[in-house]
Amino acid sequence: MAFINLQNLTYKYPLTKTPALQNINLQIDKGEFISVIGANGAGKSTLCYALAGFVPHFFKGEISGEIEVDGIASSKSTLDEWVVNVGLAFQNPFNQISGAKYTVFEEIAFGLENIGVPREQMKSRVEEAMKLTGISNLADRSPYSLSGGQQQRVALTSILVMQPKLLVLDEPTSQMDPIGTREVFEVIHNLTQSGMTVVMVEHKVEWIAHFANRVIALKDGSIFMEGKPSDVLTSDLLIENGFGVSRYTSVAREAKKQGLWKKEKLPVTLFEAAEGFKE
Amino acid sequence: MHERLSFHIKRDSAIHRLNPLTKLTLVLTLILLAFLTPWYWTPHILAVIFIPILSVIGKVAKEYFTTALKLILPAATFLFIMQAVFQPIGEEIIFHFYFLDVTQESLMFAFRNAMRIIVMVSAFTLFLLTTHPSELMSDLTRRGLPGQFAYVMISTLQILPQMQAKAQTIISAQRSRGLDTESTFLKRAGSIFPLVGPLVFGSLAEVEERAIAIEARGFTSKQVKTSFHEIPDSSNDKILRWSLLFLILVSIVLNLWHS
Repeated sequence: MAFINLQNLTYKYPLTKTPALQNINLQIDKGEFISVIGANGAGKSTLCYALAGFVPHFFKGEISGEIEVDGIASSKSTLDEWVVNVGLAFQNPFNQISGAKYTVFEEIAFGLENIGVPREQMKSRVEEAMKLTGISNLADRSPYSLSGGQQQRVALTSILVMQPKLLVLDEPTSQMDPIGTREVFEVIHNLTQSGMTVVMVEHKVEWIAHFANRVIALKDGSIFMEGKPSDVLTSDLLIENGFGVSRYTSVAREAKKQGLWKKEKLPVTLFEAAEGFKE
Repeated sequence: MHERLSFHIKRDSAIHRLNPLTKLTLVLTLILLAFLTPWYWTPHILAVIFIPILSVIGKVAKEYFTTALKLILPAATFLFIMQAVFQPIGEEIIFHFYFLDVTQESLMFAFRNAMRIIVMVSAFTLFLLTTHPSELMSDLTRRGLPGQFAYVMISTLQILPQMQAKAQTIISAQRSRGLDTESTFLKRAGSIFPLVGPLVFGSLAEVEERAIAIEARGFTSKQVKTSFHEIPDSSNDKILRWSLLFLILVSIVLNLWHS
């Protein structure tokens, strides 16, 4: 049985007429790196909240279907138990800073304090997590004095330190520079190698193509397309339905129309594009 | 705009090393002594001699005296004048100003009350200067203060400067769209809503995200919370706390005895 199992999941926020998620069926294996794409309002964040237990435990609203992680149904669990296994980091880093701590180090330890990790383990866990995301040098800074990208790393580290089995990330690199984005993708890739499962909403399709095992394209609350990044991200259907694709895909697509692209498959990354044009 | 709303000054002194609860007990004792002792000169001695000595021991004398001169003294002086003038007690009139009489008794009374206020405010100032807010809260949480309460206290201290910065951004944004914030009173009053509206509604929207963020980090976990910082609570601290409580008791008894 799959590590994560979504069965006919339909969810409607309170006071809204149309469901934010419609009939979602999704199975994810342990250690997979799943990337979710879609336009604004397609249900990406709601899917994240559903996996992380905030739908329906925090937002209420009407839900039908099943959410299961590691054999436990979300409906039979409580939010405070759920967050120990499923970590969530989202886009706006500023609002993810607890405000209860004066240094980055304490900020990252906040989650561990809450779930009652003994002091002796706390220091090594925080240091390890900071090393992983490359923010050890920020340990003594005030979290509020950091740049957006640095704050996003702190937010990510604050979740990583809790060692969740499933990591849900909603645009975690939106305020990072290209180098920072690459580093975060590499960190997450390495984590999946050691068995962590990751679901990540992200628009930077080249990086998705490089690292993700599977892409899920959402449209109007339903799964529109699902599959290997190289298949999904180059699909004509995707482009025709207003999904953003990589600039290399667009260029090669245009080139194909004029007979300049000889390969059957369109590229997503710069490397693939260069290889293709060489032929 | 990265200042913190905290007076704490990081230094190593005997007072800094005390447990936060001990310091809090000390503050309470000083205040109660100033208000309860039957002896007229107690608050004066505390305010003029004892607390300044404590500030020297705590290595924050400079900061303490700056605060005292800028903030505490003017407030206490104002209180002294008001009470001296408006307190209708005593017979022996020292001087007379239109319908206001200042008597020796009212002067004595006002002087003592001003000193009491000085004790109260300066004891707290000393406490804030030598205690890190998060240390205080971790210690109180460990002793059973609800985590939510501690969180509200601490995060307010941190978030206020952030709100201030945001208000500044909103003001600039609205002014760049032509909002009048500098002309006549009426126009400025009219421009309050476009300034306060976004700030308040924006903050309300943020509250939800922040709630999700801390919830995701196990804030409502039923586990017993641990604390990264070990807050010292030596046997000296305990002895000091009990002696202070005893002192409070004595002053209450003496107070009842004399009245």
